[in-house]
Amino acid sequence: MAFLELDRLTKRFGMITAVDTLSFSVDRGSFVSLLGPSGCGKTTTLQMIAGFEDVTSGRIMLNGRNLSAVPARERGLGIVFQTYALFLHMTVAENVAFGLEMRKIDKPERARRVKAALELVHLSHLADRYPRAMSGGQRQRVALARALVIEPELLLLDEPLSNLDAKLREEMQLELRRIQREAGVTTLLVTHDQSEAMALSDRVVVMEKGRLQQEADPFEVYDRPKTSFVSGFLGKSNSLRAEMGRDGRLRCAERVLTGPAAGLMPGAVEIALRPERIEVVDAASGIVSGCVTEKVFLGNQWLLRVATPLGDMIVLRRNAGRNEAGIGDTVGLTWNPEHLRILPAEGAA
Amino acid sequence: MKHNGPFAVAFLLVFAIFMLAPIVVVIGVAFTPTGFLEFPPSGLSLRWFRAILDNPDFMHAAWVSLKLALVAATVATAFAVPAALAIGRGSFRGREVVQSLLMSPLMIPTVVLGIAFLRFLTVMGLNGTFFGLMLCHTVIVTPFILRLVLASVVGLDKSAERAAISMGASDWTVFRRITLPTILPGVVGGWVLAFITSFDELTVTVFITNPSTTTLPVRLFSYIAQTTDPLVASVSTVAILFTVVLMVVVDRLYGLDRLLIGEGKR
Repeated sequence: MAFLELDRLTKRFGMITAVDTLSFSVDRGSFVSLLGPSGCGKTTTLQMIAGFEDVTSGRIMLNGRNLSAVPARERGLGIVFQTYALFLHMTVAENVAFGLEMRKIDKPERARRVKAALELVHLSHLADRYPRAMSGGQRQRVALARALVIEPELLLLDEPLSNLDAKLREEMQLELRRIQREAGVTTLLVTHDQSEAMALSDRVVVMEKGRLQQEADPFEVYDRPKTSFVSGFLGKSNSLRAEMGRDGRLRCAERVLTGPAAGLMPGAVEIALRPERIEVVDAASGIVSGCVTEKVFLGNQWLLRVATPLGDMIVLRRNAGRNEAGIGDTVGLTWNPEHLRILPAEGAA
Repeated sequence: MKHNGPFAVAFLLVFAIFMLAPIVVVIGVAFTPTGFLEFPPSGLSLRWFRAILDNPDFMHAAWVSLKLALVAATVATAFAVPAALAIGRGSFRGREVVQSLLMSPLMIPTVVLGIAFLRFLTVMGLNGTFFGLMLCHTVIVTPFILRLVLASVVGLDKSAERAAISMGASDWTVFRRITLPTILPGVVGGWVLAFITSFDELTVTVFITNPSTTTLPVRLFSYIAQTTDPLVASVSTVAILFTVVLMVVVDRLYGLDRLLIGEGKR
């Protein structure tokens, strides 16, 4: 049975529905990301799980108990806030000890657990410092230690890495995963950063406009997006408008394309194709040909924009140590039809 | 660093002299050995300071002022802190009305306030009582505390309180352990400012005291109206010294410029 289960969770603010019949579940010990653009309702969802927002309708079940009737202070969850929310007038050790103090745990045991928590986040040497005198990454670790020391049933992370610079963020991603695995705590991460969600999680829940878009493991969400929103939000994608004919053929800009069976009703559809799945070949031998209009060097990759009869397409080419076609060159583009994803057209779903 | 031009330096100098000269004169006069106001003093004597101790009227007035300032500042703080928390973070109807109401004593001319208080206390049968005086001073000093506490409430991180709640803290524990320590510089600064304001208050107080509840400023004022001997100077000097010591203590604890400029975060 699922450890955390959201059942048709809904939140309305006046006329606005922030979270709309959202259902998903989280297994014990797993790391799940709630991913979506800002304003999609993911933070509101987290606040409802934490108990800081009332639920309009629906249920939140944690380990068999219904959380709706439990006040925030009795839910026993560990929370790491976007701003870290450290107590600035307390030392690191005092910050971490606060939750244990509230649980009336005696002093020797408290000291032992604070020490263990600080060791887990590699901060033992800074126990007596004040948070003010620490870097963003260090504060982040204090917040984590403080949330974990109470041995919560569930760890909630609200955009924990968004205030760090890019390099530190990558470091902390690995750290976060290590700490989560060592602590063995069930974790729900809220983030708008798709690469973070994919790098960290066992499963990704994609939300948009308060609704669930897709719930799957990161590879599947990236490789088999269910909606054009998911396809566009996770990584780069070419999105082509097309028409599914009654004869089951796929037509795009008056051409018939071969694609995988889609099982969709005839009508307007959208084709999604990842730019790294496209091969650049001679102008004559491609599925389509077009003129290179833009060329960007990304270090490990080249990004080409090619104007084709199907529409503008972007292509990512691994940097194999040689130069690529230049702007103005006519190239052919080809791909394995298996890699086309046929999705319901935007707005039609 | 940019240096000030000669004109600016001259301006600042004149300004400082203008501000400080009266204080210097008062302190100088206080040390005179003669029986009249004299500056510069012809000698140095503590005669007029000893005279304060021998004057029961002044001693009593000083005691009333001290008690009044302590009680009024403390009562006003007890009201202003919850009010500032509600105004600074809440979004209830009439929030601005409540704020304007609490700040209004700053905007109403003090003479008008004095007359209003006089009428009010007479109707309530509290005229001339210490309690009545305390009520009025509480009203007068509340805006000072509210301003400073509001400034620190604005810098308050709501998620720190939520973090404490999620760890099992009760509302009272959150306030005592998280909220109050965070806004404490504003609260202490506001209290001190309120204390000094009450201790100095003359215009309103003149209307509502009677001989048994005369405060130090009122006593000084009426004393000058009758006689002019260096006693007023020595009393003023003690009051100035007292205020300065208070300011220095607060500055040491919390940094005065930060409090008065109103930067909420430590």
